[in-house]
Amino acid sequence: MLDIKNLSKSFGALQATENVSLTVNEGTIHALIGPNGAGKTTLISQISGYLTPDSGSITFDGQDLLALPAHKRPHAGLVRSFQITSVIPEFTVRDNVGLVLQSLDNQVFQVFAKAGSDQAERAKADAILERTGLADEADSRAENLAHGQKRQLEIAMALAADPKLLLLDEPMAGMGVEESRNLTTLLTSLRGTTTMLLVEHDMDVVFSLADRISVLVYGKIIATDTPQAIRANRDVQEAYLGTHELHQEDSA
Amino acid sequence: MLSEKHLPAFYALGALLLVVLPWILTAANSSYLISTATRLVIFAIGAVSLDLLIGYTGLVSFGHAAFFGVGAYVVGILAFHNFEDTTVLGFDGTLTGLIVLPLAIVISALFALIIGALALRTKGVYFIMITLSFGQMLFFLFVSLEAYGGDDGMMMFEGRNVLPVIDLNDRITFYYFCLAIFAAFFAFCHRLVRSKFGRVLAAIRQNEDRMTSIGIRPYSAKLLIYVIAGAGAGLAGALMANHTEFVSPGLTHWTKSGDLMIVVILGGIGTLIGPVMGAFVFLLLEEFLPIIFHELGMDLLKEHWRVVFGPILILIVLFAKTGLYGLIFRKNG
Ligand SMILES: Nc1ncnc2c1ncn2[C@@H]1O[C@H](COP(=O)(O)OP(=O)(O)OP(=O)(O)O)[C@@H](O)[C@H]1O
Ligand SMILES: [Mg+2]
Repeated sequence: MLDIKNLSKSFGALQATENVSLTVNEGTIHALIGPNGAGKTTLISQISGYLTPDSGSITFDGQDLLALPAHKRPHAGLVRSFQITSVIPEFTVRDNVGLVLQSLDNQVFQVFAKAGSDQAERAKADAILERTGLADEADSRAENLAHGQKRQLEIAMALAADPKLLLLDEPMAGMGVEESRNLTTLLTSLRGTTTMLLVEHDMDVVFSLADRISVLVYGKIIATDTPQAIRANRDVQEAYLGTHELHQEDSA
Repeated sequence: MLSEKHLPAFYALGALLLVVLPWILTAANSSYLISTATRLVIFAIGAVSLDLLIGYTGLVSFGHAAFFGVGAYVVGILAFHNFEDTTVLGFDGTLTGLIVLPLAIVISALFALIIGALALRTKGVYFIMITLSFGQMLFFLFVSLEAYGGDDGMMMFEGRNVLPVIDLNDRITFYYFCLAIFAAFFAFCHRLVRSKFGRVLAAIRQNEDRMTSIGIRPYSAKLLIYVIAGAGAGLAGALMANHTEFVSPGLTHWTKSGDLMIVVILGGIGTLIGPVMGAFVFLLLEEFLPIIFHELGMDLLKEHWRVVFGPILILIVLFAKTGLYGLIFRKNG
């Protein structure tokens, strides 16, 4: 579904993406892990069009993604979420989601249709808020939400775009244990229908969700494999996981 | 202080006041002020159109008077060729309002499309500077049009545009004509900012970077509102040309763009009705501050009434973030 070939991107002297090749198969959850500053967000941004790679190619659903303007990618089914929460602060939670629905319904330029009186949109938005655990906050202003709820809204906005491929950049970061568990359940329920590229630091989440895992270190993919194989991979342990969660998991 | 619940009543009262104003002024033996009232409603159209950009979209456009000038010059140039019995770009001049006014709107929209297409590629301070530059470019363009009076501008010797049934050369009729157009434009904008498109504009103002990720191209939405606002300003300019029966490059000078911005900020950005109140206070001060200073024997201030106006503006903006609107209305919720 997503094919990245020899992608490179540097910021001045810093090579943030170095000759990255990666394939995400349809219907799978593909995790991308790596230490801080490895270039995970940079990679997500190139796939979503927020950054332009220096070289390489990305194919999505058979089409050349780099030829598709960033704002058209969500319409093609490619949607990202942000590591740093980015919502519309003065909008209600429902309007944040409603705006996404409006965009994906190609209603951006509706100059006369009154916002907020579209019952179909409202019902759709409420259904998404229900799924993401925000039903009680539908009428709250986004800026007044607790941090964890803002994270949930971030996910709700991504899901509202009804993605074929969902790029999730550390969706659990800043969530409480309970919220994080609920989101894991939600993502599990999407398995098979929504393909995902998931950047996540929480190894419990990664190993419980991922069909495949790629490890990114200093801009380079050092391994792509099944969770079991990644767990056993010496290079991965040395380069990244060394003294981290994997050993704890192994000994547990 | 009123709550926003009282807005409909406030609108109704304001509308009533504007409708009976000519009677009041006539009864008070001040019918010369009908001309000021006409200027008020025309000015308010321009201010409301600018509020769409500054207040609702977060686009601080410092060249809005350019479109005002374009609208005015369309009226002036067509009147000129009608008088001279010559053609412009192959078209006869005309005073026919049903042709001239829509044409003024379309041509100012076209100018807004071209200027906006370029200016909207920049952001923040650069956008302010580039809109200012385009405004000044148009100013010098009009100055260079020797055939149309250069920097002196030109008179409309045959009077105002001609419409079926109503006579725009009648002072009171013309006031009501402008008032009706103002009301229609205000209603249009009121509807627009509450529309789905208006919601997109608000989202762009608050978090433009997020738009791409949800499939919206901010540039397109900003260009559309820029064109709508430019057309609104052009309409106001066309009315102003009719009002004064005179057009000159001065209409597009950057100080006029500044006046419009002042009116919007003074009245309260992002409120529509605020800029209308701003226009009202601005014209009131412009009309009466010089007279007051003259009466007080302070003739130096009479010339430079803006020196006094500036600090008043700063005070109002300091005390109420949303200007006069914020002084009168408490935000809901
Ligand atoms: N716009 C930019 N300009 C310059 N350098 C950047 C830019 N964005 C990221 N970087 C640098 O590129 C490297 C990769 O950053 P990136 O945000 O992609 O890492 P990450 O893997 O997402 O890290 P984290 O786990 O902390 O989110 C870092 O060294 C970062 O400082
Ligand atoms: Mg990151």
